[in-house]
Amino acid sequence: MSTLPRRRVTRLVVPLIAASLLAACGGEDPAPSGGASASQPAEKVTLTVALFSDFHYAPLYEEFKKTHPNVTITERRSQFNDHHNNLVTQLATGAGAADVVAIEGGFIATFQQVPDKFYNLADYGLTSRQSEYLDWKWQLGLAADGKTLLGLGTDVGGLAMCYRPDLFKKAGLPTNRDEVSALWPTWDAYVETGKKFVAGGVKDAAFTDGPGEHFRAMVEQAPVGFYDASNNLVVATNPDVKKAFDMGVSMIQNKLSGKLTAFTPEWTTGIAKGTFATMVCPAWKTGVIKDQKPGEGTWDIAAVPGGGGNQGGTHLMAPKQGKHPKEAAELINFLTSKESQLTLWKDASALPSLPALYEDPAVSTYVNPYFGDAPIGKIFTDAAKALKPQHTGPKSGDVLLAMGNGLSRVELQNQAPEEAWAQAVADAEKIK
Amino acid sequence: MRAAKGMRLTYLTLLGVAFFTALPLYFSVVVASRDNAALAQVPPPMIPGGNFFENIGRVFETVPFALAMLNSVIVSGSIAVAVMFLSTLAGFAFAKLRFRGRQALLLITVATMMVPSLLGMIPLYMLMVKLEWTGSIYALIVPGLVNAFGVFFMTQYLSRALPTELLEAGRVDGCTTWGLVWHVVFPAARPAAAVLGMLTFMNAWNDYMWPLLVLTPENPTVQVALSTLAAGYVNDYVMGLAGTALGTLPLVLVFALLGKHIIGGIMQGAVKG
Amino acid sequence: MATRAPDRPAAPPRPPGKRRRFNGRHWRYQADVKGSPYAYVAPFFLLFCAFGLFPLLYTAWVSLHEWTLLQDEHEFLGLDNFIAVVQDSYFWNATFNTLSIGFLSTAPQLLLAIWLAHLLNRPLRAQTLFRVTLLLPNVTSVVAVVVIFSQIFGRDFGLLNWVLSLFGAGEIDWRAGTGTSHIAISTMIMWRWTGYNALILLAAMQAVPRELYEAATIDGASNLTQLRKITIPMIRPTMIFVVITSTIGAMQIFAEPLLFGAYSVTGGQDRQYQTLALFIYENFARLDFGYASAISWMMFLFIIVIAGINFLLTSRTKGDLR
Repeated sequence: MSTLPRRRVTRLVVPLIAASLLAACGGEDPAPSGGASASQPAEKVTLTVALFSDFHYAPLYEEFKKTHPNVTITERRSQFNDHHNNLVTQLATGAGAADVVAIEGGFIATFQQVPDKFYNLADYGLTSRQSEYLDWKWQLGLAADGKTLLGLGTDVGGLAMCYRPDLFKKAGLPTNRDEVSALWPTWDAYVETGKKFVAGGVKDAAFTDGPGEHFRAMVEQAPVGFYDASNNLVVATNPDVKKAFDMGVSMIQNKLSGKLTAFTPEWTTGIAKGTFATMVCPAWKTGVIKDQKPGEGTWDIAAVPGGGGNQGGTHLMAPKQGKHPKEAAELINFLTSKESQLTLWKDASALPSLPALYEDPAVSTYVNPYFGDAPIGKIFTDAAKALKPQHTGPKSGDVLLAMGNGLSRVELQNQAPEEAWAQAVADAEKIK
Repeated sequence: MRAAKGMRLTYLTLLGVAFFTALPLYFSVVVASRDNAALAQVPPPMIPGGNFFENIGRVFETVPFALAMLNSVIVSGSIAVAVMFLSTLAGFAFAKLRFRGRQALLLITVATMMVPSLLGMIPLYMLMVKLEWTGSIYALIVPGLVNAFGVFFMTQYLSRALPTELLEAGRVDGCTTWGLVWHVVFPAARPAAAVLGMLTFMNAWNDYMWPLLVLTPENPTVQVALSTLAAGYVNDYVMGLAGTALGTLPLVLVFALLGKHIIGGIMQGAVKG
Repeated sequence: MATRAPDRPAAPPRPPGKRRRFNGRHWRYQADVKGSPYAYVAPFFLLFCAFGLFPLLYTAWVSLHEWTLLQDEHEFLGLDNFIAVVQDSYFWNATFNTLSIGFLSTAPQLLLAIWLAHLLNRPLRAQTLFRVTLLLPNVTSVVAVVVIFSQIFGRDFGLLNWVLSLFGAGEIDWRAGTGTSHIAISTMIMWRWTGYNALILLAAMQAVPRELYEAATIDGASNLTQLRKITIPMIRPTMIFVVITSTIGAMQIFAEPLLFGAYSVTGGQDRQYQTLALFIYENFARLDFGYASAISWMMFLFIIVIAGINFLLTSRTKGDLR
């Protein structure tokens, strides 16, 4: 796929290893890169799009080419962590990044700090899209300065609570999803429900997987999370963080938790085996559940306590290394358009980030037979709509890990909760 | 008959070791031929299921696997050959020739193995950017042509396995140093070189972090292609294992077919040494 | 490191009397003897100069700075990063874990490898089969190894806990504890590398003259005695090689703990299996390139010290046959 002319030149120039070694040792400048691109008008343009899984973009590329016959699109996919880590290296060394890159919510804070590494999409007229978006999703696409438009959102990961009706029935709890949602308007009510579940005497199954995801959801529902608006770490002083931590501790102390960490093998197999009855469920986790083949109707979906939430979801950005910002911006605009997002919802169950689509019958009336005919379009978009924007600090991912480790120490090693809290806060404050 | 009893014990031990060596591999094929739920069964399933070819099919659909294989063969093959050749030369020099700075240079060679590889990645990448080798398999081949591991290995092996008398005899016959290398060193080095080549080939085949950074999924090696099988938020273990089996099978086949020759090389060298 | 001086210098110079007559040839001869050693080691050093030295010096430079990846300005700190590393309790925790996992995996692995090589170093049926089997674990990618061993060491559905339960033992949460997680990770490493080392040792054993064993057998020396008194002294250089490379490998353990912890960069909730390499990676993922470089250099020093100690220990165990 070496469409770049300069790469071909290199192949011809460097058949002799010895020659190239001398060049490397002697620090000789490499051959001037043939910037064959920007100079010629109406030239052929190749855009690379780097993603961390199959986003089902292939038919959309074809669509895009109809209006941009001179554009060829190649797609790269890498593993989730590798994708983001490699992007950091590519940005730091100034080469190798794709023209359009997908950045997931957990990593976006990192890139918000370095607006100079990306094209400002506002320069290409994309600010006009603001009114279409969920407010918080739009905010995530802005740089830390609040002005530069780094990226446009694709999907969101609206939050729900997945549960197993069979285990609820055994514990003498209601199984209908509306009644289940009514059980836990708040996180306190959720913990109370858990106590009832434990009292119901279900063998070999915990009420939930582990407290980490619950803690995260609760923190993200608060008006302020780990950082205040001016990027100061407020973990130690924000009462909402402490409240969420204490909720996690009470889940552990009341034996609601199955002592599982999300995505470990015990956890994924537990989904199929039914070793826990509830878990915090962003829209994309329905795919994880299906992969484990628990059987149709084994899991159902109710509302998340505390009103709304989001986990994950992606933005598309254009690194400044790219030579075709105009085309890249147009492609981003196209891939995130209303029509494209509707197609992606239908093809790939990617939850749209444009509220106008939530009224579309394809979303609002969609029921999923695998989850007991749950209206997942409505449940997840309601949660996404209800979420209030929260300022994401530069290292929120690392802080979250430190806090989650604190809860796990209480759970797995019987560390005293106050001690675990103090250590977690100290760890978080060490993160520069 | 003590000897016969000893042999029986040897066979039993080796069979036991072979069993524990092969068991996890066998289990990975079992999982690869089933679905993710197979990892959850107690007791675990021990018979392959029927999904192997379906899973393999998914691998081929998802990534350019044929190209990845070709790239991997080229990269691993050229690295293995170069390492065998260049390490034998350098190992011979370190083990049997006298020259100023020998000890110091050998020490430096060994010390270079101790550099934590993880951290060199960013500067090395910068270098590849300068050379415009990112995305090309040159970025894998050229830095791998010879390594301290191979040089040190051949030095240690040749210091014992290569009789100094043989070299002296060669000198008396009027051999140049290169003549010695050709007629004495290479034959004596063969068993170790065969092992080194095999190990180098495997390491190059399984190298992961660096190719992942410097190559693109359009022009991957097997390991890079396999990494793109990931399903986004959660790794699809079954597809990963099916891909791994597919990436490993050629290696196992090569060893099974060439094993006799490689082992033969070892035996031959032993007789000569 | 006096790995092994040549037993006797090769290539004695020609008798001096012929010097004058064969002047041209002599000159060429001198150039050959003096020059070719350098020519033979040159490829390695050229390549190292090109692709090894620059990264090394570059990270040394980085380690002296407040260097955040993606930021373009780097403040010079002098040795501040190193001082911070030495005072960082998580650094010492990672050092302990590295040594513990390294010892647990390397010591039994090497003993087993010697023994296996010894067993294979005699006329056996199905030689090829056994040798290829030994290599199989190393052929497999580390990702597959960890997936499979994560299953085996699983708390709820693991093969090992299932076997233990047949003997009435309770469930072990291998990942949660320090000792248990170290055992699990060491097992993976052992499984993967024992056959590899056995094969290297075997190659060296094959070069030991048969007559020595025959003579020893006539003298009535037992199998174990032969291993101790003949084989090990005869393959000492290769032993040193295996010990040093295994030590270096053990000090750099990275992928196993990372994947075993399902991508937890802290190596468990209490950093109970965070190795030094993983600790570097954690700081790297936080974009703190300066601090990560300082840790790497500390790690580099540790490896030199430990490899040096191991070298001394290995070369001390004399009992030389020559």
